[in-house]
Order: sequence, then structure tokens, then C-alpha cells
Amino acid sequence: MDKNFAARRRRDLIIAAVLAVMAALAPLFVKDVYVQNILILTLMYAALSQSWNILSGYCGQISLGHALYFGIGAYTTELLFTKFGVLPWFGMISGGVIAALIAMVLGYPFFRLRGHYFVIATIVIAEIGLLLFQNWDWAGAALGITIPVRGDSWLKFQFLRSKLPYFYFALALCCLAWFVTWWLEDSKWGFWWRAVKDNPDAAESLGVVVFNSKMGAAAVSAFLVAIGGAFYAQYLAYIDPESVMGFQFSLLMALPAVLGGIGTLWGAVLGAAILIPMTELTRSYIGGSGRGVDLIVYGTLIVLISLALPQGLVSLFSRAKAKGATR
Amino acid sequence: MGEDAVTAQAIIQSLASGLLMGLLYGLIAVGLALIFGLMDVVNFAHGEFLMIAMYATFFLFAFFAIDPLLSAPLVAAALFIFGAVVYLLIVRFAMRAKANAGMVQIFSTFGLAIVMRGLAQFFFTPDYRSIPQSWLGGKTVSVAGIFLPEPQLIGALVSIAAFAGLYFFINRTDFGRALEATREDPGAVALVGIDKNRVFALGWGLGAALVGLAGAIMAVFFYIYPDVGASFALIAYVTVALGGFGSVFGAFAGGIVVGLVEAVTALVLPPSLKSVGIYAVYLLVVFIRPRGLFGSM
Amino acid sequence: MTITRRDVLLGATATAALMPLAARAQTSEVVIGVIYPFSGGSAQQGIDAQKAYETALEVINKDTDFDLPLAKGEGLPGLGGAKVRLVFADHQADPQKGRAEAERLITQEKVSAIIGTYQSAVAVTVSQICERYQIPFVSADNSSPSLHRRGLKYYFRASPHDEMYSAAMFDFFDAMKKKGTKIETLALFHEDTIFGTDSGNAQAKIAGERGYKIVSDIKYRANSPSLSAEVQQLKTANADVLMPSSYTTDGILLVKTMAELGYKPNAIVAQDAGFSEKALYDAVGDKLEGVISRGTFSLDLAQKRPMVGKINEMFKAKSGKDLNDLTSRQFMGLIILADAINRAKSADGEKIRDALAATDIPGEQTIMPWKRVKFDEMGQNNDADPVLLQYRGGKFVTVFPPQAAIAEATWPMK
Repeated sequence: MDKNFAARRRRDLIIAAVLAVMAALAPLFVKDVYVQNILILTLMYAALSQSWNILSGYCGQISLGHALYFGIGAYTTELLFTKFGVLPWFGMISGGVIAALIAMVLGYPFFRLRGHYFVIATIVIAEIGLLLFQNWDWAGAALGITIPVRGDSWLKFQFLRSKLPYFYFALALCCLAWFVTWWLEDSKWGFWWRAVKDNPDAAESLGVVVFNSKMGAAAVSAFLVAIGGAFYAQYLAYIDPESVMGFQFSLLMALPAVLGGIGTLWGAVLGAAILIPMTELTRSYIGGSGRGVDLIVYGTLIVLISLALPQGLVSLFSRAKAKGATR
Repeated sequence: MGEDAVTAQAIIQSLASGLLMGLLYGLIAVGLALIFGLMDVVNFAHGEFLMIAMYATFFLFAFFAIDPLLSAPLVAAALFIFGAVVYLLIVRFAMRAKANAGMVQIFSTFGLAIVMRGLAQFFFTPDYRSIPQSWLGGKTVSVAGIFLPEPQLIGALVSIAAFAGLYFFINRTDFGRALEATREDPGAVALVGIDKNRVFALGWGLGAALVGLAGAIMAVFFYIYPDVGASFALIAYVTVALGGFGSVFGAFAGGIVVGLVEAVTALVLPPSLKSVGIYAVYLLVVFIRPRGLFGSM
Repeated sequence: MTITRRDVLLGATATAALMPLAARAQTSEVVIGVIYPFSGGSAQQGIDAQKAYETALEVINKDTDFDLPLAKGEGLPGLGGAKVRLVFADHQADPQKGRAEAERLITQEKVSAIIGTYQSAVAVTVSQICERYQIPFVSADNSSPSLHRRGLKYYFRASPHDEMYSAAMFDFFDAMKKKGTKIETLALFHEDTIFGTDSGNAQAKIAGERGYKIVSDIKYRANSPSLSAEVQQLKTANADVLMPSSYTTDGILLVKTMAELGYKPNAIVAQDAGFSEKALYDAVGDKLEGVISRGTFSLDLAQKRPMVGKINEMFKAKSGKDLNDLTSRQFMGLIILADAINRAKSADGEKIRDALAATDIPGEQTIMPWKRVKFDEMGQNNDADPVLLQYRGGKFVTVFPPQAAIAEATWPMK
């Protein structure tokens, strides 16, 4: 059993490396900027969802308020940049640290809440954050922050037309989030989380250590999501509260992992690879009609996938494998 | 002195409006609480149920000139059928999920919400509708300078009546007892010959019918468009959670608290932050009582 | 630097005279991207906009008899009669999606220019992308003043922004005061997104400059489930004029709540948006007799310029609605853009940009009560005069400025 586990982990790592190299080569073949944009968004949401998965999938603490951390990452970076001239690279890290600290401060009371009380608390706290930014004049309130783009610069992490730097950053973030998850799976924390999920009561006896590991998960998850937010702000060169802290981001972070397979190593990546291109393409090619057909298609797919594959799309792979094994 | 009187009156007016709105929030939320209490499922399409109810009321008015007050029972009946169908077609399967049951329920109903918005846009167009003239619309009762709009007033009365009826129903009727029994032990009721699916379907129907009632009254004084549910969905969840999941009467209390807190917050903070008051009270309550005001589980 | 618009125009004519054949051979079609919300809460605005653009397209591509640029004859004579084709894209009110669609339209659909977007937040990102690809962006109906102040070369707005609109309202107040009407206190009521915030800021600033007292400045959350508390505060403040900046949904709820709480202001002077929408008047028009809204368009103009009425009929046949402040700006935006493409004699973004910068269309050749269309170095047309319209007996009547007015304002409102 242990041997299998170790072998599986080694195999996962190899597959990930191969996929990452393949992804890194993709821009050689994909020259169309529209498609490149879809790839970047896919990688970004894969990274976000992977980070969300650490807290919500592995730890079982379902958060629908991660938009808060996303927005904090975006706002910290751009406020530091536009108001104090701090380079986005430092802003990004600061945003991540602030988000992680907030996640821990919130985690203290939040982790006492169970089930839907916890979920609603996370939604509500993100809404409070959104409303505060919407009314915070110094931070631009509803007008948001426009980031001046003066030309291509790695130092300021801004590029006029080229999408490649953004692409490779998103890819790196995705790999990082994946690797952190991979590493956590085999850590002490990972062990405790499985124990907690399998038997919440037994976990009570583990008490303090489990609580601390959850705080750790919240911090890591928030940190990575905030980096994603900072990236998004740089990529878009404009942020306003609704477009970086709205509830839809919390959902868009959860959806890929849920559709792909929650609490699994590959779920978020797989889910994002299907969901994001689908949303973009349905909007671009059938959304212009003004009749809501894109919503109908999108919603129906979510219903069908969540009903037909409760363990997510990754279960298709394991099912196929199980079949192969019995044959 | 005179200014104080004006302020006092303004505060009383705010509280009165908040109370009426709170009773309506309770009515909007009670269906959610009922369904959750019955089977631990949170319906993330609840706001869209409300939207459908408002459209139904609107079209009954537009095509058949039926006043919302008269059409309310019809809308409730239609929503009853709709709720039962949603259970039989979607939720029933969502509940069968062996893994990630919570997730499957959240996202299957959430997907349904998106489909319903899309369908509303497809069939009804995204244009804004409203009922310009109705028996209650725009009418107001004024008591000592305090204005109580009739639609909200009737809404509050309907809400109180609905909660009273629900209380009677759950405690005094066979079906109510079956609901309670199924809630407590779905396995055992099967042994005494109660069809779990039938009870659940009726529970969903009842929950949806209550939203239907709320929608019919809302239609009198609110605008109607495909995204209208979004304005109420989060408030409904907070109302139910504040009252305590699983407690139908918690929703009643939760609604009143939400309505009053909203009104008071708007007096002390900029009105654009008034929801912050509601959210803060929710957090405060669950930090002190992690199961909400009246939650039992 | 010393090249004047005249030179550019002369240059353009000269080149045209020299190489008429080359121009004719170029393209048979010019593609323009149109980016609007076609799903979500403001989808109706997208659908109405689509109808307005299709109306303008008919005027451009077909032979019509209006005194508008490009109306006579088919297509763009400057490009050998090339037809204009529109590609519509959905931004769902999301700046990221707007940006992605702009990029798709530019790179895949090869559009020569983009027009949009209703939401100002989306206009920010769309115009950034256009700047990067050197494709002109015509901001047909965005009214946020910050938009043209970002130093973009490819940004153009023919219609007024909120500071111009707000200034017109205060000009009107000043004029009314001179006639002896008591206007001292104002109540601002604006929603919390870009539109309401910008509008509220502009109004507060001008009120301060001109000595009006703001007794209540209420920013509210867009699409709130209830506005009772807000209306209660307005009622307590009881200002001489209530100035709402609200979209349709909140506008309907505001008026209904006001009636329910027994608040009847002396006058309402609205910042357009919801208050120019048919849906709002269908819902609560009976309570709005005498409401004044700013705009840049007035059907009254049909009396002086019959083509306004005819174009309105064309639009009405498609949409079932009269042209309003939004749809008229959209219509005009496309005409102005197509006129520039025609003068550029090219589908190339940079040339169209230069032609837009050289635009000088007299007000009579528009459907708007404007002096003319001429862009300043920031791409803003400062000669687009706003008007104030009063809702009377189910119709809008122009009451200000005097040169456009056909009646005196009724004050207080009924």
C-alpha cells in the first residue's frame, strides 16, 4: 500500500513535469492572441482552483469567499504601485502575505463553524470586503485603479501586446500551486486532513494540531490566490472592486476543482482545462445573440457534470483504469 | 426640539419599514429553511425561484388582468409543482451522490440557477417589467406621520399567516408529521411505508410554494427581470443561517432581525454599506452561537 | 504639430483626387466591432444598442435621403462603395471579458474600429486594448469623465460626459433662480458603481462652486432589495431638488418607494440612465409627471429637423421603442465613425484615427441638438450640448437650454 502510494506520487510528478513542458511549448504553435488569452485564463484559474482546493478540498472547509484574497492581492499590488511606486513583484508578495495573515485571523473564529454556517460566513466576509473597497475613496472606490502601461518591462511586469510573459507567469503559478498540493499530500498535514475528513470525531481528539494545520492551509491557500489576484491586475491593467472581488470569482475558483474532482491532485487542472475554454467560447460565439443561450448551455453542463460525476471528471480516469485492471 | 421630533419620527419610520421588510425577508427565506430542515440541502437557485414567481405574477396580470393579490395562490400552486419537479428531476439525483454530497447539491442547484436565468432571458427577454397598477400598488397607510406601504403591510401579514399556517401544518397534520419523521430518520420511515421521495418532493413543492407567495407580493412593488433573484438570494441565505439551519421559525426571527439591522445600519453608516450591518450581525451571532439563533442540529 | 485639421482635410481630398482608382480597388467591406452586454443584468441595453447600430447601418449601407454623413448613396464612397459590416460581441459587464472580446475582434475578425460599451468599467479595458493595437475606439454612450483623461490617442467620444451634463443642470438651476424660483438645497442620490460615483462627485463639485447647499448626499448599493431607509433620509432632508443617478432597476424602486413613504419632492432632476428608459416610465410614469432628466437627445428636434422623426421611425420598427438618450448616441456614434472611415479611404486603424481627429460635422447634420462634432486633443467633443427634458403627459419636452427648448419648465413638478 505504502509502496503503491509512493509509486503513484512519483508517477504524478513525472506526468506533471511532462505536461508542464508541453504547456511551455504551446506558444510555439498557438500564435492567435485570442487563444493565448484563453490559455492564460485557463492556467490562472487552474492555479486559483488548485489553491482553493487546498483549503476546501483537502481540508474540507468549503470557502465561497476566496474572492476576498484575490482582491486583496490585486489591490495591494496596484495601490503600492500607483501610489508609492513599489514594483509589482514586491506588491505581489506583500499582497500574498497580507492575504495569508487575514486568512489566519479569520480562520480563528471561522473554523469553529460547521457546514453551511462556514460557507455562508465566507461569502459574507468577501461581500463585506467588496463593499468596503467599493466605498473606500483613497483606493479609487468604484472608479477602480487604472495601471499606466508605458511599454514592455519585466521590472514592472507589463507588456503591451505580447502575451507570452503573462502566459509563462500563469504557467509557473499553476505549477507552483500544483507542486504545493503534491507536497502537502504526503505531509503530516495531509495525513491529518485525511483523518479529519474520514472521521470528524476522531479528529476532535487530535484537537490543536489539526486546528493549526487548518490555519496553515488557509494561509497557503490565501497566499497563492492573492498572487493570482496580483497577476490578474497586472494582466488587465485595470481593477475595480466588482471585477476583482465579486462573488463570481469565488465561484470561478471553486468550479474547476468541483467539476474536475474536489480534493484531488488533478481535479482543478482538469476542470479548468474544460470549463474556462468552454465559458470563453460559448460567450464569444453564441453570447452575442442577447438571448441567454450561452447561460443555458453553461448552466446545463454544470448540472449534468455535477450529477453524473459527483467525484469529478478525474473519476473517469480512475474508472477507466479500474476497468483496465480487471480485464 | 422640533428637530428632535423629526429625527425621532424618522427613526420610528425606519424601524417600521425595516420590520415590514424583515417579515418579507422571512417569507422569502422560509422555503429555503424548510427544504434545508427536511433534507440538509441548500437550494442555490432559491433566488431564481423567486424570480420565476415574480414573472408568473406579472404575466397573470399582463395577460389575464388578475391582480397579484388574487393570483398569489395560483402562483404558489404553480411554484409548488415547479419545486416538486425540480426535486424529481435534479435534486433526487444529487442526493444519491455518495461522495462530495454537499458539493454536488451546491453546484447542481447553482447550475440550475444559471439555466433558469438563461431561460428567463430567452423567453421573457431581459427587459425590466413591473406591474404599474394593482389594488395595493403605491397605496399607503399613514399612522401619526409613519407611512406603512400597503404592499409591504399585506406582505407582512401574509408572512405571519404563512408562518402560523406552517406551524400548524408541521405539528398538527399527518403530512407534517411525516415530514418531521422523514427529517429525523429517513431510513426508519421507509419501514413504516412512507415513500421518502414522495415526502421530499412534497417538501420541495411546499418550499417553492412559499417562495411563490413571496414572489407574488414582491411583484407589486418591485421590478422584475431575469437577474432579480440575485438581489435576494444572499439575504435569504443569511436570514436562514442567522435563524439557524433546520429551524423554520428561526427564519421568521432571522428575517425580522435582518430587516431591522438593515434599517438601523442605514441610519448610522452610509446607506451603500447597509448590508455590512447584516453581515456583521450574522458573523457575530454565529461566533457566539455556531448554530444560529434557533438552530438545533 | 502645425498641421491643422484643414490641412489634413485638404490633404485627404488631394490624395483622393490623385488616386481615385486605387482607393476604389481596396476593400468591399469594412468591419466594425460592437461590444455590449448581451447577457446578465444589463442585457436589455445591449439589445437596444444592437437595434440602434443596425438602424445606423441601414442609413450608411443603403441609399437614404437624410442630411447625415453617408446617408445618400450606398456604402462608403471613399472606399469605392464598400459596405460596413458589424460584428457584435458580449462583454457581460466584465472588464476582462470586454478586453478579451476586443482582442478577438481585432485579431480574428480584423475589425477596423470598435464601438461600445455601455458600462464605463468595460470601456476602460477595451480602449486600452484598442490603444495597444492602434485601432480607434468610439465611446458611444459611456459618460464617465475619467475616460478621456487617460492620454489615449485612439479614444473618441462624441457625446457629453457627466461633468458636462451636470454643468448643464446647474446652468438650468441658475437660470431658474434668476426667474425667482427658490433653489437652494439639493439632495444627491447616486448608486455605488462607476456611473453613480462619477456623477455624484461631479454634482457635488459644481454645487460647491456655485453655492448650492447639498443637504443629503446618499450613495446606495446598486440593486438593493429595499430603498426605504434611503428614501426616508431624502424625505427628512427635503431638499428643493432631488438629483438621482440611477439605473432602471433602482430608478423604478426609488420612485415606488417615494410614493409609498409619502415623499413628494418639489423637483427631480435626473442624471439620465434609468430616467430615460421606457421600462421605467411604463412602470412608474404616472408618478413622474414633471420629472426632468438630462440628455443629449430630444424627439422635439423632429419639428426642426424632420429626419430625426424618420430615423426614429426606422429604429422603432426594429425595437418597438422611441430613440432615447442612449440609443441616439449609439446611432450617432456609428455614423461619425463610418464618416471618418470614409474620409480615411482606408480600413487601416491609424488612418481612421487621423480622420476621426479631423472630424468636423456641423450640428445640423446630426440627429442631436449639438453645435457640432469636433474632437479635442483628448478625443472629447466639447460641442455636444446636453439638453434637459421634462416628462409631460407621457412625452419628453425640451426645456433647456433656451435655444433648444420648446417650452418653459413646469416647476414645481406635479
